Amino acid sequence: MSRPLRRWAGALLIVFAAAVAATALGSVRVNVRDVLAILASRLPWVGSLIPRTWSAAHQAIVLQIRLPRVLLALVVGGGLSASGVLFQGSLRNPLADPYIIGVSSGASLGAAVALLLVIPKGWAGYASLPLFAFAGAVLATLTVARLGQRRGRLEPTSLLLAGVAVGAFLTAVVSALMVLRIENLQDVYLWLMGSLSGRTWVHLSMAAPYVFSGLLLALWLAKDLNIYLLGEEAAHSLGVDVQRVQRLVLIIGSLMAAACVSVTGVIGFVGLMVPHALRLLLGAENRRLILHSFWVGAVFLLAADTLARSAFAPLEVPVGIVTAFVGGPFFIYLLKRGSSFYG
Amino acid sequence: MDKMRLENVTFAYGAEPVVHGVSLSMKPGHFYGVVGPNGAGKSTLLKLLDGFIRPREGTVYLDGKDLRTFSLARLAREIALIPQSSYYFPFTVEEMVMLGRAPFYSRLGTPSARDREIVRASMEITGIAHLAGRLASSLSGGERQRVTIARAFAQETKVLLLDEPTTHLDLEHQINTCRLLQRKSREGVTVAAVLHDLNLAASFCDHVFVLAEGRLREEGPPEEVFKPELIAEVFRVTVPPLHHPLTGRPIIAP
Repeated sequence: MSRPLRRWAGALLIVFAAAVAATALGSVRVNVRDVLAILASRLPWVGSLIPRTWSAAHQAIVLQIRLPRVLLALVVGGGLSASGVLFQGSLRNPLADPYIIGVSSGASLGAAVALLLVIPKGWAGYASLPLFAFAGAVLATLTVARLGQRRGRLEPTSLLLAGVAVGAFLTAVVSALMVLRIENLQDVYLWLMGSLSGRTWVHLSMAAPYVFSGLLLALWLAKDLNIYLLGEEAAHSLGVDVQRVQRLVLIIGSLMAAACVSVTGVIGFVGLMVPHALRLLLGAENRRLILHSFWVGAVFLLAADTLARSAFAPLEVPVGIVTAFVGGPFFIYLLKRGSSFYG
Repeated sequence: MDKMRLENVTFAYGAEPVVHGVSLSMKPGHFYGVVGPNGAGKSTLLKLLDGFIRPREGTVYLDGKDLRTFSLARLAREIALIPQSSYYFPFTVEEMVMLGRAPFYSRLGTPSARDREIVRASMEITGIAHLAGRLASSLSGGERQRVTIARAFAQETKVLLLDEPTTHLDLEHQINTCRLLQRKSREGVTVAAVLHDLNLAASFCDHVFVLAEGRLREEGPPEEVFKPELIAEVFRVTVPPLHHPLTGRPIIAP
């Protein structure tokens, strides 16, 4: 096997091993062999050949509770990280993240409206919540994009400023709603911190199509994004339609992030930290960076979520707290180490 | 035959024209200098030549054809522009120069052996081959400028436009850069550079365009153009008529 091929096989193996281990771990321990057997029994053709040595309860835990959550952690972790690469590239700012132009504040408002005004208490089962959050994210992003234009062209600095302004405004609205409807405070608060608790196949099916089609489109645009990093005039001279690429990249990144946020709530740091750290390791070439960010982000969020649900079991910590807890110190370390990196 | 030609070109960002009724032409194999005081429209002129901005009035021609008829991808194979400032994300020097080959391979493809060879040659000519694996963001100003020039060389265009390629460089690097550009022009490339240092323009350019307030004030070989009267009028500086004792080219010093 060639070297890059071997590397990708290695990455896939790590993802698979992490997924199996995370499925086995939890308040009820299922041994790894049973997890593998249960998974194999669902395969077409060979599935019926697997002898059934596990209990029905274990099968339900693996297939109905843990597997969708594990897969969702992978999809959301990968989606946020790949989206982070797109935002850092299109804003030419290594400290940008998928939330910087309004996705999270918009989604938060959408979710808060749903939880406080529309959906009755005990929300976890309501599949309409992500729809509200998604609509909020898209509306907020469109507003920021509209405000971030000067003479009909998107400008990174204007976009960042508009993102901060709109974000602050929407966050204030969310806070006001929370104060007004204090009896539902906890639901909103937990959502704002981001969690994978209680998420099912429905949630996975909402996020996955956006994340995977976004990933493919991002790879398709990676070469343009490389050139785009040189600056607008240089990119134009190298045959890149700068405004078109910027628009596409922002749309793709926002949709990926919005799909993730709307099913899990606001999970911070993944989309900022993973691309940033990998850029330090691998350099700025975007095709490589997008692919590696995707799998590393996926495994990172899965590890964080597994920790979140098993460290203080049966109590669950919102995964956003874990990512920030790990992310903060890690970022300080990067800052100390790579200060001359962007010259 | 003219490589590029501007015919009565006017451009404005707002109401006030930045470039006003400029007509000029450039031949292959010549090194052109674009000079003028701040705000004279030099950078704008270069962007018009590159097609980055479109004239409000008048026409830009490349090989006798209206620049607007060229696609973006086609233009990238004809004209290279090095803007005043570049961003330096952590690409290696080689990756950065390889971006100059981007117009020649497909979006999902990888550079061919020929692309690699051209990149290597460009790095050698500009004296940065030993930096190939270094991060462009970690280099000094002079090294970065050479990386940018190597990238433009790798693009292998017949027209090379540079916006202040010598600013922020020390004397040695200023002169080396101009020599490099002069040599490129001798290979048949049309080179045009915005230069702030009139002495560099006087020493190396075959032909200079003097812009003032968006208009082409004067043009011609430096020894005919850089007369004390013109310097006084355009740059508001009084200079004596000096000439280089060896080359006979004008020297502009107060």
